[in-house]
Amino acid sequence: MGQMRRVLLGLLAYGSVILPMQAQTDAPPQAGPFFLTLHFAGGTGLVALGGGYRVAHQRLEPEVLVGYLPRRLAGHRAAIITLKTSYIPFSPRLGHSRWEVSPVAVGGFINYTTGSQYFLTNNSAGRYRPGYYWWSAAVRMGAFAGPRLTHLGHLSGRYVPKQTLYAELGTNELYLVSALTNRSLKLKEILTLGGGVKGSW
Amino acid sequence: MLSIFRSHSLISYLSIAATAVGLSSCEMIEFSPNDHRSPDDKQALTDKHLTTLLANPLPAGDTLRFVYTGDSQRFYDDAEDLVKSVNQQKGVQFMLVAGDISDFGLAREMWWVDDQLRKLTISYLTVIGNHDQVGNGRKAYGEVFGALNYSFVYGDTKFIMTDTNGREYNFNGRIPDMPWVRQQLQDNTVRRHVIISHVPPQDEDFDPAVREAYVTALREDPRLVFEMNGHRHDFSIGQPFNDGVTYVNSYAFEKRQYLIVTMWGDKEFRLKKVPF
Repeated sequence: MGQMRRVLLGLLAYGSVILPMQAQTDAPPQAGPFFLTLHFAGGTGLVALGGGYRVAHQRLEPEVLVGYLPRRLAGHRAAIITLKTSYIPFSPRLGHSRWEVSPVAVGGFINYTTGSQYFLTNNSAGRYRPGYYWWSAAVRMGAFAGPRLTHLGHLSGRYVPKQTLYAELGTNELYLVSALTNRSLKLKEILTLGGGVKGSW
Repeated sequence: MLSIFRSHSLISYLSIAATAVGLSSCEMIEFSPNDHRSPDDKQALTDKHLTTLLANPLPAGDTLRFVYTGDSQRFYDDAEDLVKSVNQQKGVQFMLVAGDISDFGLAREMWWVDDQLRKLTISYLTVIGNHDQVGNGRKAYGEVFGALNYSFVYGDTKFIMTDTNGREYNFNGRIPDMPWVRQQLQDNTVRRHVIISHVPPQDEDFDPAVREAYVTALREDPRLVFEMNGHRHDFSIGQPFNDGVTYVNSYAFEKRQYLIVTMWGDKEFRLKKVPF
């Protein structure tokens, strides 16, 4: 798991270096705080729709997603409800263009999959003695990191339109536990890929 | 912005991005960890291994010998070492894993176990455990391995693999599937029967409403050599019902021991413990 440790340390170092630059950035025309998201994969369903509200000088994007998991993927049709926050430490503009590239945004999520086959807790399932299974089949937690490409539109009204395309490499806590307890499991085996678009007008 | 990506779907863009960093994107694009679908090379493993095994029938006069283990759940490092050890064994025809292949009932975990076990020079066969049924696990097991109840004949012996994880069905009175089990035990075209399942009948996770029927059916089978389980993570051998039927429990992978089972005659057998 040395590879994973290096990635995590790299991300931490990256965050601590660029944070002080925040105050020096010229305030560009601001996008509105509300945004909508169309998200694919990454453990949140085939496709998920949602939205959120930008905070902390638009560096944090907490959001709610409702994903759709069709029957052919998991036996029963299910919804996956995800609470998620992305942190965008740095999003420099490409010269004087209206494009911004953020090499890495990081974040975390927690989600809930509907359906009676996914017990919320060992005890709520009603068939196990306490401690039989230590995890929840319905709730997953995870973390992710990935690049973003953002386009800023022309000011029309109060806010600048802003669209972001992003990809995310992530994992969940059960995969992470598996990898941390087995040196033979490689980082890439526990990674999941997702991505989507966010927009505000 | 959309014009830039008009020629590519988002998924293909993501795939290209992932390929660029040297990752196989197909298996990484995950809609849910509970997705039971599996890539071609990790599908129907039971059928694939049976085809290989049965293509090489036991030559007349050779002794039937197999490796018996269970509960590989999240013991990937141990699985790696177990494979190295089993590959050193001579005259062993196949390996049986007595359930709990996965820990969380996720398809990826079953792939990870197979990543190790496919390095075996012999075929391996599994039976479903309770952990393999959590969430959508039952479907994942069905996709990656195959049937929850199946049997095969090798070396004049019928191996009957059955789902005894009654608690996962809320003790619905139908697990194990007794009509199926009885039908299998009635096969008198072979010399010996061996029945293998995950949860032993003396365990609290075995449906108490079916226990008597199961134990009775085994007692009344004149061809039965013994019954084999996993679940308890440690080796044991005994006759818990004092009815002449022997029950054998496997070591879990984490115990870093396995059994080599040798069978001959009508009901003769020998168990050898192998540490690794």
